[in-house]
Amino acid sequence: MNGINTASGLMPPDSASGTTLHTIVAVMSFLACLTLGAVLTLSRLASEWTEGLSGSVTVQLLPSPQIGGDDQLSDALRITRAWPGIFAARALSRDEAMGLLEPWLGEGNVLADLPVPQLIEVTLTPGRQVNLQGLSKSLNENVPGAHLDDHQRWNRELASFAASSEAVGWAVLLLITLATLAIVIFATQAGLQAHREIVEVVHMIGARDVFIAGEFQRHFMWLGLRGGLMGLGLATATLIAISLMWNSRDAPVGAQYLPQFVSAPQHYIWLLLVPAITGLIAMFTARMTVLRVLGRMP
Amino acid sequence: MVRFENVGMRYGLGPEVLRDISFSLEPGAFHLLTGPSGAGKTSLLKLIYLAERPSRGMISMFGRDTGTMPREELPPLRRRIGVVFQDFRLLDHLTVLENVALPRRVMGQTEAQYHADVEELLAWVGLGNRLNAKPPTLSGGEKQRVAIARAVVAKPELLLADEPTGNVDPDIGGRIMRLFIELNRLGTSMLIATHDQRIIERLPATRVLKLSEGRLATTNEPLQPEAMRA
Repeated sequence: MNGINTASGLMPPDSASGTTLHTIVAVMSFLACLTLGAVLTLSRLASEWTEGLSGSVTVQLLPSPQIGGDDQLSDALRITRAWPGIFAARALSRDEAMGLLEPWLGEGNVLADLPVPQLIEVTLTPGRQVNLQGLSKSLNENVPGAHLDDHQRWNRELASFAASSEAVGWAVLLLITLATLAIVIFATQAGLQAHREIVEVVHMIGARDVFIAGEFQRHFMWLGLRGGLMGLGLATATLIAISLMWNSRDAPVGAQYLPQFVSAPQHYIWLLLVPAITGLIAMFTARMTVLRVLGRMP
Repeated sequence: MVRFENVGMRYGLGPEVLRDISFSLEPGAFHLLTGPSGAGKTSLLKLIYLAERPSRGMISMFGRDTGTMPREELPPLRRRIGVVFQDFRLLDHLTVLENVALPRRVMGQTEAQYHADVEELLAWVGLGNRLNAKPPTLSGGEKQRVAIARAVVAKPELLLADEPTGNVDPDIGGRIMRLFIELNRLGTSMLIATHDQRIIERLPATRVLKLSEGRLATTNEPLQPEAMRA
């Protein structure tokens, strides 16, 4: 066969229009991947916050003239540990309680003078309904100065904040998807216009519409897919770089409190959908456009 | 094979470029389509190779009325016709071999089925050593022969050529016409559109269609070189 491939694609492999489409799809995929990464992170945070808070409660023991500190703690621990559905109850040391206040009050002598209440961290048995109202009532009646905090106020506010942020993220993702759709359609149509001569010649020598559409849709699907993969690669590198930067010792103050971007492997599977979608959009646009152009020919 | 009855054609809302055209092409015959530039030769060829629809009249191809045929039945009809376009219309990004193989590919044939035929055909038209060349690197005569090879590779029953010698020197023009005569001897019906008087005079006895201002002046008359000269 003389090493000559007579079955290569009908489309020029590296045309100017192809390069333009490539670049545009890569940029839009990059933006879509970053937005999707942010949305997935927000979604994960929302569930983590909710699960984290709903899986534990805290018992605060304020000093009371009716009972000594040690008795107060042992009574509260006994009642709590005996309550149905409680997995564990642990008294926090003074240092641990101080540590919780440090982010707000800072380090220093000021903490030593504060009357920090004794705290008991209570872990609930996962998947089991616990009568927290009953526990609260029992503690109030039997342990003076004891107060159960079930985090409901924080829980509601955090869940509301996370849900709002997630909704904004999805809205931005939707807008980027629509913009990507419009740009890919426009660039594909422009690319096809540049190759109209090929459509006409192949049509005149007796090719059926589906044959021509098949050649074009395959070509544009690969263009869309390659552009999408380039965008995904850039976005993944950016997300990893952000995560590494936030975790590094040189990270700015407070960075350790920021969420980890796209830490779960399944998030990267979601991101893989972006190039697949850009490839499919380019493919269907090419098919529809070619069939419409051919439909106007005899 | 091809029959036109009172065919008229216009582009869009413009004036008719072809008016009351009636003729028929006979199987195995060698036809000429002559007339000055702008007479409507290319438009008439477009109607035959189904690139345009008539605005009126009836066109019958291979025994079927093209006006009543569904669009999806036209591709098999086009494959029975080979066309050598005036401007060749080769695909610049494909090699000579790939360009010539195109009609066989669109018929659904595999490379194994057509490769040997394409190589043999290109050797026959004197391009056996340019198989891997791209059209932009070819001379006008070479492009013309690639276009001819592409037009005949699927063994069409009718070959149409639009000014096939218009872009080549007289020597190559003569070689191309000898090629057409040879193809005609092998059984392909020919319709050659040309206004090149030297070509007309050198052709064997044939039939001529003479167009003038969109009308057919002479139909289905045996060509008399002396009369043409006058």
